[in-house]
Amino acid sequence: MRFVVENAGKSFPGVVALDGVSLDIRPGEVHALVGENGAGKSTLIKIITGLYRPDEGLLSIDGKEVRFASPRDAIAAGVSAVHQERNLIPRFSVGENIMIERLPARGGLVDYASVHAEARRFLDMIDPSMDTRTEVRRLSVAQMQIVEIAKALSLEAGLLLLDEPTASISGHEAEALFAVLRRLKAEGKAIVFVSHKLDEVIALSDRVTVLRDGKTAVAGDPIAAVSRSRMVSAMIGRDEPVANLGVRKTLRDDAVLEVIGIATTLGHRDLSFTLNKGEILGLYGLVGAGRTELARTLIGDAKVTAGKLRLNGAPVSIRSVSQALRKFRIGYISEDRKGEGLILAHPVRSNVAITVWRRVLNRLGLLLRRRESEIAGPLARKLEIKTPSLEQTVGKLSGGNQQKVSIAKWLAVEVKILIVDEPTVGVDIKTKSAIHELIAEITRGDVSVLLISSDMPEMIALADRILVMRDFLIVGELENNRHYEPMSRRIMNLIHGDFAGKGSDAEWETTSG
Amino acid sequence: MTNAEVRADRPGPQAWLVEQSNLLGLAAIIVLLWMAFTARAPGFVTPFNLFAISRSVAIDIVIGYSTMVVLATGGMNLAIGSIGVCSVMLAGYLMQKLGLPVPLAFAAGLALGALLGFANGTAIVRSGVNSFIITLASASLFMGGMLILTKAAIYNGVPPAIAAFGRMRWGFISPLLLIALATGAALLILFRFTALGREILASGANARAAELSGVPVGRVVVTVHTLSGLLAAGAGLMLMTRLGAAMPSIGEDWLLPSFVAPVLGGTLLAGGFVSIIGTILGALLVATIRSGLLIVQVGNFWLQLFLGLILLFAVMVDRYRGVYAERRGLGRSS
Amino acid sequence: MNVAQRLLAKEWSALAAAILAGFVVLSLLSPEFLTEFNLYVMLRSFCVVLVVAFAQMLALGVGQLNLSIGALGGLVAIAAGGVMDKLGFPIALAVGLGLLIGAAGGLANGLLTVRTGINGFIITLATASVFTGVNLGVTESIPFYNLPAAFVAFGTERFFAIPYLLAPPIAVGAALAFFLARTVPGRYLLAVGGNPQAAELSGLPRDRMIVLAHVLSGLLAAVGAILAVAQLGSAQPTIGADWLIISFAAPIIGGAALTGGHISVAATSLAVVLIVLIQNGMVLAKVDPYWVQFLLGALILVAVGLNRLRALHARSE
Repeated sequence: MRFVVENAGKSFPGVVALDGVSLDIRPGEVHALVGENGAGKSTLIKIITGLYRPDEGLLSIDGKEVRFASPRDAIAAGVSAVHQERNLIPRFSVGENIMIERLPARGGLVDYASVHAEARRFLDMIDPSMDTRTEVRRLSVAQMQIVEIAKALSLEAGLLLLDEPTASISGHEAEALFAVLRRLKAEGKAIVFVSHKLDEVIALSDRVTVLRDGKTAVAGDPIAAVSRSRMVSAMIGRDEPVANLGVRKTLRDDAVLEVIGIATTLGHRDLSFTLNKGEILGLYGLVGAGRTELARTLIGDAKVTAGKLRLNGAPVSIRSVSQALRKFRIGYISEDRKGEGLILAHPVRSNVAITVWRRVLNRLGLLLRRRESEIAGPLARKLEIKTPSLEQTVGKLSGGNQQKVSIAKWLAVEVKILIVDEPTVGVDIKTKSAIHELIAEITRGDVSVLLISSDMPEMIALADRILVMRDFLIVGELENNRHYEPMSRRIMNLIHGDFAGKGSDAEWETTSG
Repeated sequence: MTNAEVRADRPGPQAWLVEQSNLLGLAAIIVLLWMAFTARAPGFVTPFNLFAISRSVAIDIVIGYSTMVVLATGGMNLAIGSIGVCSVMLAGYLMQKLGLPVPLAFAAGLALGALLGFANGTAIVRSGVNSFIITLASASLFMGGMLILTKAAIYNGVPPAIAAFGRMRWGFISPLLLIALATGAALLILFRFTALGREILASGANARAAELSGVPVGRVVVTVHTLSGLLAAGAGLMLMTRLGAAMPSIGEDWLLPSFVAPVLGGTLLAGGFVSIIGTILGALLVATIRSGLLIVQVGNFWLQLFLGLILLFAVMVDRYRGVYAERRGLGRSS
Repeated sequence: MNVAQRLLAKEWSALAAAILAGFVVLSLLSPEFLTEFNLYVMLRSFCVVLVVAFAQMLALGVGQLNLSIGALGGLVAIAAGGVMDKLGFPIALAVGLGLLIGAAGGLANGLLTVRTGINGFIITLATASVFTGVNLGVTESIPFYNLPAAFVAFGTERFFAIPYLLAPPIAVGAALAFFLARTVPGRYLLAVGGNPQAAELSGLPRDRMIVLAHVLSGLLAAVGAILAVAQLGSAQPTIGADWLIISFAAPIIGGAALTGGHISVAATSLAVVLIVLIQNGMVLAKVDPYWVQFLLGALILVAVGLNRLRALHARSE
């Protein structure tokens, strides 16, 4: 089928996710979709698969306009997708999961022979060794991904969309997948392939679309005409200037946090780095690189199983979040602002004061709202939080202001180390620079910041040093000279794995289980 | 563009009315019911009946509070009846069999309630299992244990001062009502003026965010369950003064009223918001209907039916209000 | 894996072992245990409890809690009994009416839950009150005693140790197992419980499955009620009053997860056997009947604790 997205636009409160994006997917082709996190790929995919409805623009199949009210409509129209998250029924067999959307049945009874035979047919295309009778919950992550792929294949759809299909698989299975995709292409199917692995993209696709900040940077050009470096430039090139933060002085010899060869319950092994006083240490990487997991470990939400941690020279063991905050003065601004960073139903006042409730009791041991306001008020003013009053429910504020509230609460409690995880996702441009300036300013007061971000300009503007992470390992450490072009290129090269000049997938060693 | 001044004051009168619309609506219904019942049976507003209502509502209020504090964290306590009866039977036993003085026995009863609540809370936090299952099981465990130990005796040889207190009347109000209101006042202080109260509501509204902000969520859950047990014990002891004896049937029918009162009053099932006044009004509604049906001689049998329908209605209205408020852009604050 | 290994791997093998151990212990300790009459008594109590457990099991399967099983059961009991006693309905018609009421009650529960989006717990707490209210209002707590002789006979007669009453629950259990394992709606029901988001993305009708689960739950409650009436020989309005904890205990001990998707007819049945065994043991040992309540609570806690341990252990591997 020929699937065309024309001028799609989609906005959420406070942020424009897609702006005038077009995508022309032709039959008998593999069309790659690339871009950084936050570029809009995931939103575009959700529109194509019927999960979202576009605010502007239209979708058409073979020339006729279509509107999807739900994923079911998309499936019925012949769109099948392998999403990034697993969507399998844990206690059902592989075969049943593959065939779940249309279980072969006779008179209301499931025809298991057919279920397994059919499932076998599609599974064999990628992994002939898997038993269709195994319960999905017993499979590894890689195997589950294979099941998902087989499931999408089984729909024999006109358009097959794969979102990071090789995130958990590699080697034989990845090769098998590519062989299948090439065959489907020859049969006239349309395929959309989303991946961060640029080498795969170059090897497999016919045309490529690059998204950046919700807009099309490269629109369906033939892959032969797009060199790797042009792709990278398109992903990272920016129009707006990088915020000017003035001259930054940091004492490089005053280590506030030393991480020495740690392993964690979340999957890190032998990780080491140092955070200096007053420094902004950046942690760059793709989704799944292990950065948030590292943050969670440092604030006591996960355990260190090997190695050492030292705070200001003294060895420490962080046992709980409460301890991390109260004893060690480590704070964490979560990337999931609404789910983990704020209590949306409560007012600004209490969201800011939550970290200091126990400290502002009066002589009778009571906590007065006035005291909370005395803390929240000045901070709200300082951070320029736009809210009609401190009693306003946080859920009603814009994304940018919500983020300011979640920063304010850490300023209230005077942390020494602040881990900031994706601070400006879904935040408008003006507030974004304000937040950047804020982060820079708090380090002047001797707060040390560990900045996790997938936003390249943000990282280069803010960080004094940048650690690049991949697959739960640190693959590089760079001093930041704040010159955008060279820095971003060096980072991208570390990320997209041209280290030691290895070019193809099969030669990479994956360290994940 | 900066905000010249971020105001810390309360929202304007119109928003306040909307917020309180639930309570006002509830109060209006109660008033209407009173008028209707009085019209049908003037005996409804005799001093004696008012006294009876005040006694029964007092107990319903405390029962409602027992559930309310756990709802605040998004959990539930199905064991309040069992905890109540265990506390009462302990007090009864201590007074009748061991001859302990009333204050000591009552204190022991309250302590037991708190202890059982503490056990519940600890089990819930340590095991990570749903409070529904844990308290369902512990309800059976506590009740069974109590029955084994007491062989379902009825202790009616308790000091007569107890029944006398239950009969005490100040005009048409029972002192039990004042105890209930005082409990309400204490809870109001807890939730409005203490750090713990804030932490409870934060844990209920968003446990993860609260945890990441340094709130010891596990400890908070244990605390609310302990408090819930204490309140359940209190309700049981109050009931004992009305009955004049400690009997194993206490607490049997507490489950439904314990939910109706807070939910009608606006306490959220999902946690994060409680209404202390609302629970009082909810309990008053339940007591009104119970007494009204009795007076009008419709028979207590239909009480259950009405309570169930009211609960359904209340829950649906609450849903609707949530959606309506969202659309009008008006918020709720804690 | 050979047969023995496969049996051991089943989650209910611990249960089966406990039951076996219980049987052995009881037969050693009490000479009356293995008598025909005692087995008959055990099997009779097994009947109602099994069906009630299935009723809750289905709700749990889609991640729902049904607090109205007992109340609905009571209502069905007096309705079926009442029409036979006061209106002279033939047995078949009365049973049909009872089942209809059960299904209707379940339908109400299901529709209210999906239409309002409110937690099934609170909905069924409320409807339980409504059902009980109607029950008490109609009967004023007076049972219906005048039931057709054939009906009462069915409840008491037996073939050696096996009561006739056992036939319906066994049939229901088999049908249920078949439904969940081999039919399309059954598989969809379990899929919706196992991963609601995935089921939705795959286009499965989630709301319809939840309503179906509630309807079946109500239907099974009705079956349980009718069996109870036959067992007691009269339609008591108090039927169902003590079903709440039993209805949860059996599926939970049998390994059902509160979150849905994992239920097992076999495991639930074994759990019921265990519970009945314990009850019987208490009676034979002339122990205070109150011990049963105590042990039920303890058993649930132990079962849940073991489940958690198993889950944690699996995750750390």
